[in-house]
Amino acid sequence: MTSVRFVFGGKVVALDGIDPNMTVLSWLRTKVNKIGTKEGCAEGDCGACTVVLGELTQESGRERIRYRAVNACILFVAALDGKQLIVVEDLRQADGALHPVQQAMVDLHGSQCGFCTPGFVMSLFAMYRSEGQPDRARVNDVIAGNLCRCTGYRPIVDAAMAAYDGGRADQFSRRERQTVELLKSIARTETETLALEGAGRRYFAPVTEDALADLVKAHPEATLVAGGTDVGIWVTKHHQDLETVIHVGGVRDMDFVREVDGSMEIGAATTYTDAVHAIAGQYPDFGELIRRIGSVQIRNAGTIGGNVANGSPIGDSMPGLIALGATLVLRLGKQKRVLPLDQFYPGYRQTALKPGEYLSAIRVPLSQPGRHFHTYKISKRFDQDISAVCGAYCLDIAGGQVTRARVAYGGMAATPARAPQCEGALTGLAWTEDAVPVAMRALAQDFAPMDDMRATARYRLAVAQNLLQRLYLDIEGGAPTVLAPEASGQGMGA
Amino acid sequence: MAPKPGSFSTSIPYEEKKLKIVGTEPADRPDAVDKVTGRARYAADYNLPGQLIGKVLRSPHAHARVLSIDTAAAEAVPGVKAVVTRDDFPDMAVEHAASGELMINFKDVTRNMMAREKVFYDGHPVAAVAAVSESAAKKALKLIKVEYEVLPHVIDVEAAMQSDAPILHEDQFTKGVDPTPEKPSNIATRIESKLGDIEAGFDQADLVIEREFRTKPVHQGYIEPQASIANYTDGGQVEVWTSTQGHFVFRAQIAKLLQLDMSKITVTAAELGGGFGGKNNVYLEPLAVVLSRKSRRPVKMVMTRDEVFRATGPTSGTHTKVKIGVTKDGRITAGQAELNYQSGAFAGSSVPMAAITVFTRYDIENVLVVGHDVTCNRPKVAAYRAPGAPMIAFGVESVLDELAEGVGMDPVSFRLKNAAREGTQTHYGPKLGPIGFVETLESAQAHPHMQEKLGPNQGRGVATGFWFTLGKETSATLNVGEDGTVNVIMGTVDVTGGGRSALAMVVAEELGIPTEKVRVKSGDTTALGFNFMTAGSRGTAAGSMATVKASRDAIQKACEVAARIWEVETEEVVWEDGHARPASTNVGDFEPLSLADLARRAGALGGTIAGHAELDVAMGGPGFGTHIVDVEVDRQTGAVKVLRYTLVQDAGKAVYPKFIEGQFQGGAVQGIGMALNEEYIYSEKGTLENPGFLDYRVPVASDVPFINTEIVEVPNPMHPYGIRGIGEVPIIPPIAALSNAIYHATGVRLRDHPLSPPKVLAALDEAAPAIAAE
Ligand SMILES: Cc1cc2nc3c(=O)[nH]c(=O)nc-3n(C[C@H](O)[C@H](O)[C@H](O)COP(=O)(O)OP(=O)(O)OC[C@H]3O[C@@H](n4cnc5c(N)ncnc54)[C@H](O)[C@@H]3O)c2cc1C
Ligand code: FES
Ligand code: FES
Repeated sequence: MTSVRFVFGGKVVALDGIDPNMTVLSWLRTKVNKIGTKEGCAEGDCGACTVVLGELTQESGRERIRYRAVNACILFVAALDGKQLIVVEDLRQADGALHPVQQAMVDLHGSQCGFCTPGFVMSLFAMYRSEGQPDRARVNDVIAGNLCRCTGYRPIVDAAMAAYDGGRADQFSRRERQTVELLKSIARTETETLALEGAGRRYFAPVTEDALADLVKAHPEATLVAGGTDVGIWVTKHHQDLETVIHVGGVRDMDFVREVDGSMEIGAATTYTDAVHAIAGQYPDFGELIRRIGSVQIRNAGTIGGNVANGSPIGDSMPGLIALGATLVLRLGKQKRVLPLDQFYPGYRQTALKPGEYLSAIRVPLSQPGRHFHTYKISKRFDQDISAVCGAYCLDIAGGQVTRARVAYGGMAATPARAPQCEGALTGLAWTEDAVPVAMRALAQDFAPMDDMRATARYRLAVAQNLLQRLYLDIEGGAPTVLAPEASGQGMGA
Repeated sequence: MAPKPGSFSTSIPYEEKKLKIVGTEPADRPDAVDKVTGRARYAADYNLPGQLIGKVLRSPHAHARVLSIDTAAAEAVPGVKAVVTRDDFPDMAVEHAASGELMINFKDVTRNMMAREKVFYDGHPVAAVAAVSESAAKKALKLIKVEYEVLPHVIDVEAAMQSDAPILHEDQFTKGVDPTPEKPSNIATRIESKLGDIEAGFDQADLVIEREFRTKPVHQGYIEPQASIANYTDGGQVEVWTSTQGHFVFRAQIAKLLQLDMSKITVTAAELGGGFGGKNNVYLEPLAVVLSRKSRRPVKMVMTRDEVFRATGPTSGTHTKVKIGVTKDGRITAGQAELNYQSGAFAGSSVPMAAITVFTRYDIENVLVVGHDVTCNRPKVAAYRAPGAPMIAFGVESVLDELAEGVGMDPVSFRLKNAAREGTQTHYGPKLGPIGFVETLESAQAHPHMQEKLGPNQGRGVATGFWFTLGKETSATLNVGEDGTVNVIMGTVDVTGGGRSALAMVVAEELGIPTEKVRVKSGDTTALGFNFMTAGSRGTAAGSMATVKASRDAIQKACEVAARIWEVETEEVVWEDGHARPASTNVGDFEPLSLADLARRAGALGGTIAGHAELDVAMGGPGFGTHIVDVEVDRQTGAVKVLRYTLVQDAGKAVYPKFIEGQFQGGAVQGIGMALNEEYIYSEKGTLENPGFLDYRVPVASDVPFINTEIVEVPNPMHPYGIRGIGEVPIIPPIAALSNAIYHATGVRLRDHPLSPPKVLAALDEAAPAIAAE
């Protein structure tokens, strides 16, 4: 296959020779003159470029379409292959009426200058198509990836809730069967690897892991892309030129969460959105942390595999995975090996991957009685922010004593790393309030964090230590640990 | 500068009357429909056939002499059609002009748009390229060779004021000191305003508190990056579509900077994706015009977010000192303040405006305010909603909070006791007219918010704000179609969305027809007389003055038509409820004629019914507001959670209340973002470290509670409907209110902005040393 095919405006679009580095946003705005989708940052931060992707799924034996919001500014056009692309211009009903989400935004003054509006409309539309009446906290979550500088958000939240007043049917639900047929008509078979060439660059999107393994081995110099939420920025912000890209995100047999031998195995092509439920089932706190990685748009595209492989010292999933003793399944051609995650990072932004090797899956031990796991992300904003510090703790406590402790931090060193002194100090201690200062002092021996614009070394260490206090309170209280901003001040006054 | 109406300016006095439309919800908001469907066209959405893409090469240095620029290699890149540098722009002499709420100097404007002798900040333009594609343009930028002599730089305001600081402008000698110094200085100007006898005032006080405060620059953070498209036609006409808050001012500046006749330039203000004062200045426009002239093709330029942060906006970073004295019974006897404000690369910060607002909410007999406008190696500052006021309100309202506690009064009663009222003498000149400050304090005091219980680590803060309403040149044209529907062309820019609807409501009220029959749009610079920038909260306030005048003109004309039909004198016809009627039964027994009836017949009876206005609007009618906020402080991380927020403000008259609430909420949320997280962070080398939304953190939905709003209405006597400007006041109190709330939650006072987790945690640690210190 050499053309990218997707459903757009009720038809199949096939693009040949498209530049693999071209983003969906620039295609929309410069190639097909769809200017409703806006560019506010080109870095995935503002949500002005939000579009919705429809994908075929099975739901209780029926073929359905699943709608998800993503950032068009960091999504490569090639990644649209096999999907439905929906943009703000598509929402008006056939009779010209506004979509309920649009109407509610007008009626409740959700739009002032309006530049953010198409993005909000699309985020809310994806929610409207995917779930029932939300509460305010859910709306906050859904729009965490959309910035508005004019309204202060209240009218948008009101509109999000009011959109449901007239039920949930729209032209997308009415046309679902036709769209399913269109999507089926462009679905690639297992042997059909998409191989594009355009603007002197190459792009491969295999359907099976075996095909992927062969491609990566054959092109060890290629850039792998899963969700592209890190890689997209290299192109749009850092103006890197990616000569050869291999798309991991569409490999069907790497998109799973399953139980294998007492572990939960997560395929490297599984998005956060698809993995979060299973992870939260084992470790509720980890689920909460994942709900705070980036935004809905980022989690709909981004993968834990990409987070791990990217190896940023402030990647949020690694401290938790390290604390839990996760291992990685790495594959080179037909060879697989298993490596503990805490041995995967030899240095700053380096990984133990060999040329031609890639990350196939991540294995996380299942929860067990007496094991306490907590993880905390500290950032300036609650949602959609980069961590200054991320701490994760996995303690086995038996008879009031810590029998095993694994502690890991992000943001404290050049790589996500364990805290051996702290672990050592905790192991064997009676789990009382007195254990906390002991662990805090030991932690100061583990790390010499850096000053940077996100936080000072002093702040990082102080917070890293203070999180041990929170850990104690959380384990003792058995309380949920995330300081979710609850809906306060609502309905009061004016 | 303080708005001082000239002797030829117009005001239409307030008239109390029964209103049918003003004060309600309009039936529709046409602009909003286009916004939710993606049809609204912003500057970056315009394209012209054959257009080129323009890109700017920017300085990587904070301060350097530009020794040479070699563009030969760039010009040779295939697809490159024009390269421009300082040599393509005429030098300008010193000449000052108003641009929004800040003053500009054309000598500096041309240097800011394109560096000449030196670059003054990271991001300062040094060259621009137009090419057939963005990639060709970027390739060319990389090939431009600029030789710099890097100079020592200074970023911080206090450092810039030192006598041994690196000097930006060798020809800048501090103005406002006598005698004028002989040594150049980064202090461009010293200003002073005085009332009474400051020493005597402090002598009468029983308690005097003096504190120092610091704030970091923040950016307006509009979501739409600046964008412009220019077409220099072969016939010498210039067309520009751009993101601006004032296309007439931009036309004037382009004309001046490029030495062109104004009549040859047409500037169209595209739908504006937010400005908040940040789109009061030309950046790309003159570059795009010159690139277009050189390449003979239309040129489109769109900033990246990185460019927006590095080279536009931001506000001043400030250092301020505040000293206030009170008697035991809570009467303020004296207030003194020093305001040191960064202006960035070129002189002209908001310090003159800020200096006026310092104590202008309180009735204080003895005042001394000193301000300094200080250049430093940052982008030239731009206005941002009530420019300069939030920073000094932070100082004043924090000290007042301490004093209230010192004399044992609650914060609102203390402010009420000292509140400015009609007749209060301000420290900068005029006496205040009828104002609604006391009313906002009283409403705040009575608000249910005040009764909400606070838990551990929670605290409540109060602060207030004041801002002017700008008048200035405003034009409008109103044409009645043959079917009786009405088009209004306004010359201000609808910076908020809803501004057009508010004007339509005023016109509908005047004409006595439904709002849906009135359509308001912004006209290009050839359509109307001059209009000043949409700044100073003047959009609806001054805009409606012009539309009222135009409506009354049209009514006059409609009455003339009726008089001709009835064959009576025009004076014998009155306009009531959208109809011409005989003034009395003596005139005759005629059926009333509607605007539609008259419009249909007007053509043959004297011509189209129309009205117009070209005014210099006299305004005044300042706005006041009081904010209450509750926070909870996380002692482990220093994070501040905003629990509840209530804002009470005097709107004079709320034309379109929902739209006013939107302004209140949006302004307060910007203030909360400014207070808690937003800041410019510079490296040792003087480069901006956080030029993106990833590290310049504006609030998202979960960062803010629902903002409760309450509108107070004390009519502005200088406006026919009593309207006051409302857009700016809401951003003033939040830093102070939050800082006061944090104090009441923790016992720790923060005087260093932003009130971000690291600063809060450090302050808490200092108060109660943590384990880390063991
Ligand atoms: C706005 C925004 C917010 C963000 N917020 C957060 C946050 O809160 N916390 C956080 O941790 N991160 C955050 N990120 C970063 C990013 O989203 C995550 O790192 C994400 O997990 C990356 O996954 P991906 O699938 O998009 O990776 P990609 O961008 O596709 O790839 C990332 C890296 O991994 C490599 N790679 C991908 N898959 C494989 C594989 N199977 N084998 C080998 N190498 C592979 C790629 O070559 C690349 O080097 C944010 C990013 C953006 C744009
Ligand atoms: S343009 Fe800002 S997220 Fe895409
Ligand atoms: S309405 Fe202006 S940014 Fe949201």
